[in-house]
Amino acid sequence: MSTVTAADIEVGTQLPPLVVRFTRADLVRYAGASTDFNPIHYSERFAAQVGLPGVVAHGMLTMASGLRVVTDWVGDPAKVRSYFARFTKPVVVPDDDRGAEVTFTGTVVAKAGTVVTIGIEAVADEVKVLGAARAEVDLGE
Amino acid sequence: MAISEEHVGRSYPPTAPYVVSAAKIAEFAAAIGDDNPAYAGSEPVAPPTFVAVISSTAWQAMFDDPELGLALRRIVHGDQRFEYRRALRAGDAVTAQLRIDKVRTRGTADIISSSVEVRTLDQELVCTASATFFHSHEAAA
Repeated sequence: MSTVTAADIEVGTQLPPLVVRFTRADLVRYAGASTDFNPIHYSERFAAQVGLPGVVAHGMLTMASGLRVVTDWVGDPAKVRSYFARFTKPVVVPDDDRGAEVTFTGTVVAKAGTVVTIGIEAVADEVKVLGAARAEVDLGE
Repeated sequence: MAISEEHVGRSYPPTAPYVVSAAKIAEFAAAIGDDNPAYAGSEPVAPPTFVAVISSTAWQAMFDDPELGLALRRIVHGDQRFEYRRALRAGDAVTAQLRIDKVRTRGTADIISSSVEVRTLDQELVCTASATFFHSHEAAA
């Protein structure tokens, strides 16, 4: 387990980045686990009908992956106090073995006592797919 | 009928109790590719975004409300916020209750702000999950 404490970090501290790859199989698995069975996450035909360029990842899957940058760093996920993200661009997941790659980075943007705010960026195909993503963690004593 | 500002403040009955299980936590953690040890063992906590599994069941009451005239295929999840009092744990029995906080119309879309309180059966607030939805008046071409 990580032992990050508030004393060790300052505004501007970079968290280790995380690269995640989503394939169609991952979307099926997340649909089942989350019970979000919106067909835009598995049906090319339905995605086209609603004007999407292809089958897209669940925004919540992208959001969940982004928080791993924070929880991998602090160790204990119970330290997370809040998490926000805007779903700015869909992550299109092609029907092949490579899928779509998303790179997540985190930077400490504020610190108040033991509570640290981390700004998270998520980039796929050089496009930001989450907007204004922020997580607050209470690192404790 | 169509959703409008007059629906601000409307809330729906809490969902049926949901019992968080170690098996579902393991399934969800695997689906987001997260091997954090806190999600395993005999007393696991749930990944922070697991709350979406429960809060999304509370969305359904709003989506199904005939007085709002919402069409699921024209709804886009715009952003998501979670405010945690504590982590969900295996064994927790919780309900989720949705409230419509704000409704705005911009051009041909309604912007709906909602919040879902996730509480134990003893009324302990565990998490508030707030979401913004965009509801377009016309079906996408």
